[in-house]
Amino acid sequence: MRPLYGIVAREVIRFLRQRGRLWSSLARPFVWLLLAGAGFAAVFAGSRELDYRRFMAPGLLGMVVLFGAFLAALSTVVDRDAGVLRLLLVAPIERGAVALGKVLGAAVLGTGQALLVGLILVPAVGLRPGAGGVLLAASGIGLASLATGALGLALAATMRSLENFSTVMNFVVFPMLFLSGALYPVQHLARWLRVLTYVNPLAYGVDLLKHGLLAPWARSGYGGELPVPLDVAALSVCAIVCTVLATLLIAREGLTSRAGGTG
Amino acid sequence: MTATPAIAARGLGKDFGPVRALDALDLDVSAGEFFALLGPNGAGKTTALHLFATLVHPSRGSALVMGHDIVREGLAVRRGIGLVFQEPTLDRDLTVVENLRFAARLWDLPGRLAESRALELLERFGLAAERDTPVRALSGGQRRSADIVRGLLAEPRLLFLDEPTAGLDPHARRTLWESIHRLRTERGVTVFLTTHYVEEAEPCDQVALLDQGRLAALGTPAELKRRAGSTTLEGVLLATRP
Repeated sequence: MRPLYGIVAREVIRFLRQRGRLWSSLARPFVWLLLAGAGFAAVFAGSRELDYRRFMAPGLLGMVVLFGAFLAALSTVVDRDAGVLRLLLVAPIERGAVALGKVLGAAVLGTGQALLVGLILVPAVGLRPGAGGVLLAASGIGLASLATGALGLALAATMRSLENFSTVMNFVVFPMLFLSGALYPVQHLARWLRVLTYVNPLAYGVDLLKHGLLAPWARSGYGGELPVPLDVAALSVCAIVCTVLATLLIAREGLTSRAGGTG
Repeated sequence: MTATPAIAARGLGKDFGPVRALDALDLDVSAGEFFALLGPNGAGKTTALHLFATLVHPSRGSALVMGHDIVREGLAVRRGIGLVFQEPTLDRDLTVVENLRFAARLWDLPGRLAESRALELLERFGLAAERDTPVRALSGGQRRSADIVRGLLAEPRLLFLDEPTAGLDPHARRTLWESIHRLRTERGVTVFLTTHYVEEAEPCDQVALLDQGRLAALGTPAELKRRAGSTTLEGVLLATRP
């Protein structure tokens, strides 16, 4: 337990120390709310029953999870982390513990940021979820953080370096965000795009958040679109499978190209 | 003291793609020995060390470290060894003591024990005043010293040092050798050193000369000099290359 705690504690200390990263991650959803929310509210088809800014609140919390957990785990391949990675790989702990520690660290960051943002965002847009709704939304945040954190680490273990960060943003991060139902209901998407939402863990997380926060609008099609047990199962399976996958990749020298150095 | 050799390698080799970093190394290091792997840059020293530390898997051959197989018993190997890498392993955003606390947790050391050991080592390496300084604010030599303290923290029975004195000022260099001497005499620690500085290999019990991934010579410094007909190890090193 001590090594796991050590890995998670380091991630948290680091995050709190990087003030720029801290503030930008907390401000980002509000910038989206202000700028994207203002424009889309005018063209939103459901505006008669639900203000667009209210509709996008669960999605914005999903976005915080995506940037907080997924990118934190993915950044394992960044050069500045190489030294610590090297230390993790020669420490007397199993490869599975390295993977689990990294996933938990990312999940704690994603969950912490999303809960903090939610505390301000949810009342700010006028949503008043009950205790059950809050619990559902919080589970959505926690599970989505675990699932996307695990996915990010597994992806990191297949990469030699994060040479082209914009490629990752364009072909992974933004598709995951847009195909999550965060900004519009996925049921209106073309079939082939909808298929993609089913393999996107963030979509299940955002769906759980909608179940929790947009329950009154479920019948008009703006609440959760999938059964809650399916969301929970999909996120749990993704978290477990990706953590196991990351463990196997690390055991097969994944990540060591950065950690190994030369000579 | 058990007679389990610290390292026993047989035909150990590693390729990185088409590059043969280490050919087929046969090597025996006894427990308690002070061993140096000497060779120019790119000779395969670091690769050998990374293989022993289970950081990479061998392409061929096998090795036992403290009696444990480096492929099948990686965790058992890692439990017994300490490592100071050529490249830094410290988190630049964390303070010196936070970095040491992180390493102590990875090695599962109880907090209080780790804290007292860390303070003693920092004192010895002249870093006591820098304990709460972020690593990014340290000088290159201080950073290196802090990394060495990190490697010594878990009191390993086998200590790997990869070019440990690179970037150290003379004072820190002497502290390092004194610390190693103490570890060896007081606790019988086996020290495995890679270096391209000939003078650092002089006090060693056994020296292996590595050249282009191949073992060019192996023996005590005196034997190597006699065989090469040279009065210095420098001469031996130069004689291995036509």
